[in-house]
Amino acid sequence: MPAMNPTFAAYLLRGLAARLVVFGLVFVLMSVLPRLLPGDTFDSLMASDLVLGLDAGTEAALRERMGLSGGLWQQVGAETFAALRGELGFSLIHGAPVADILLGALPWTGLLVMLAVPLFLAMGLATGIEAGRAPGSRMDRAITLGMSVLASIPSFVMAVFLLLLFGIVWPVLPSAGAEPVIPAADPLERLVAIARHALLPAIALSTHELVRYFFILRSETILVSRRAFLFNARARGIGGWRERCDYFGRNLMAVVFARLGQSIATLLSAALYVEVIFAYPGIGRLMYQAVLDRDYPLLRGAIAVLAILVLLLNWIFDALTEARARRG
Amino acid sequence: MRLPRRGRGGAEEMRFRFSSGACFSAAALAAGAVFLALVMFLPPYVTGPDTLSPPGREHWLGTNDIGQDVLTGLLRAAPTTVGLALIIAASALLIGFLLAAIAAGLRGLAGGLVLRIADVMEIIPSILILLLFAAWVKPDAWGLVLLIALTTWHDDVRPLRAILLRELSRENVALARLMGASWPYLLVRHVAPALWPTLAAIYVQNAVQAVMRVTGLSFLGLVDPRLLTWGGMIQDAVDYLHEPAWVWLLLPPAFCLSAFLFVLLGIGRRLEESAAGVRGQTL
Repeated sequence: MPAMNPTFAAYLLRGLAARLVVFGLVFVLMSVLPRLLPGDTFDSLMASDLVLGLDAGTEAALRERMGLSGGLWQQVGAETFAALRGELGFSLIHGAPVADILLGALPWTGLLVMLAVPLFLAMGLATGIEAGRAPGSRMDRAITLGMSVLASIPSFVMAVFLLLLFGIVWPVLPSAGAEPVIPAADPLERLVAIARHALLPAIALSTHELVRYFFILRSETILVSRRAFLFNARARGIGGWRERCDYFGRNLMAVVFARLGQSIATLLSAALYVEVIFAYPGIGRLMYQAVLDRDYPLLRGAIAVLAILVLLLNWIFDALTEARARRG
Repeated sequence: MRLPRRGRGGAEEMRFRFSSGACFSAAALAAGAVFLALVMFLPPYVTGPDTLSPPGREHWLGTNDIGQDVLTGLLRAAPTTVGLALIIAASALLIGFLLAAIAAGLRGLAGGLVLRIADVMEIIPSILILLLFAAWVKPDAWGLVLLIALTTWHDDVRPLRAILLRELSRENVALARLMGASWPYLLVRHVAPALWPTLAAIYVQNAVQAVMRVTGLSFLGLVDPRLLTWGGMIQDAVDYLHEPAWVWLLLPPAFCLSAFLFVLLGIGRRLEESAAGVRGQTL
């Protein structure tokens, strides 16, 4: 579609500037906030039962090494420039550069999200069309009631219940981690093990968005079924799969597509709960651990990477949606 | 000759609906006050010698790992969880409404700025901001109100601004203005009645969000540990999933939380429908 490209590029460019500003604000906020509070990382590291009789010179040198010397804006500036060069700092707790730790965790979160998206899309479309094509029917009322119940279970409670049911009461699936401690040597076997570990977290992750999509798709289906072409099609005796897929499914694609960017952003933040509950080694659990350990460089790096990902997805999907809307 | 009716319900019907709504809220408030008074007389939520004892005559819903009575905890957590959600929802709505009024009233820089800030808030996942703060201070009740209200108001600004603009440009407002009505009179008699249904619907949506965030943060253990909520009780139960104790530790708080959300979501759907009926379209 060569005609679409110029507008798409224009939308991309327009969105970029705003998102760069947003990211800059988030990043500076992350650097400034901890420094406004009394006590810095150095103090909290030294606040232990072991009294180290440090003289003023050694203390100043240590602060200098940790990037805690100089005024507030000097520190924030130094940190921002380091981040621009791609240096996200060093985690003292993990004893590794923040960038390396994050790179190790990102693929696992990515895997969960990639599994959850087709899950809730397929389920949401199936239930939404089934309920919306005959509003008020027994099927519609049953599905809507089920979804209302599902909607009132917060995602962390859902994750705990899934863990309990399929990991403990009826232990068919592994309940923690992303792989066995010693991964299988055979690549196929290893793949199966990874898939088995990812299944429960992915299901837990998808339920939240499933409910949202169901209600949106149900009302959209009702709107579609009021239109003349569908009335005509039904009069011609079209029903069953053909009606569900070709007539409803295709007309709902625009709605699904427009909300996908926001959904993936939501999933990335919902992954925090799910990863904590299933002890899944993704970026959410890493952030949670960083909060508990007060590992500020890691927390800042993780939030920065996650913010970049969310902004990037949001940017591309927004531009795509606008370009599509403009095309009509 | 009958006068044409506005929207789905006529004026009388609307007044009736409003007064029945007022009765209902008064009843709910009274019930809440009675409940609060009862909570004051509950036995204290203290540790005891019977740890992890199953439900029985002494402890109707059993005890947790440090011997606290689960039923007492459940009842004591109710006003905190529910109250926090309602207060946070009201604060977010207030912030959102004031900013929406600014965005609707001032067309220039200030109005544009409000909308841009709302856009920015929309993009950043609020859990990131909550984590960022929770890492430095474990918020208490008022900290949670401030933190969650400041990260949820942005959802309310656009719908509120849209409806404010529509109501202010309606012919009844213009006519009353022409006849010399003052702005306070206009706001109270003409704009506010049209706003109530939408405000109520948005308030309930905010409350749902607030419950999820408050209980979610307490579940993660990122709030003041003295703050007792159903989310924190679920967190306590997670350590005992491998033992029979989960039956009385996990199920009661999870059930209370979901039941509260179920009721809120039900009310929300009703309100949204009635708001759509008054305005003649969906939110």
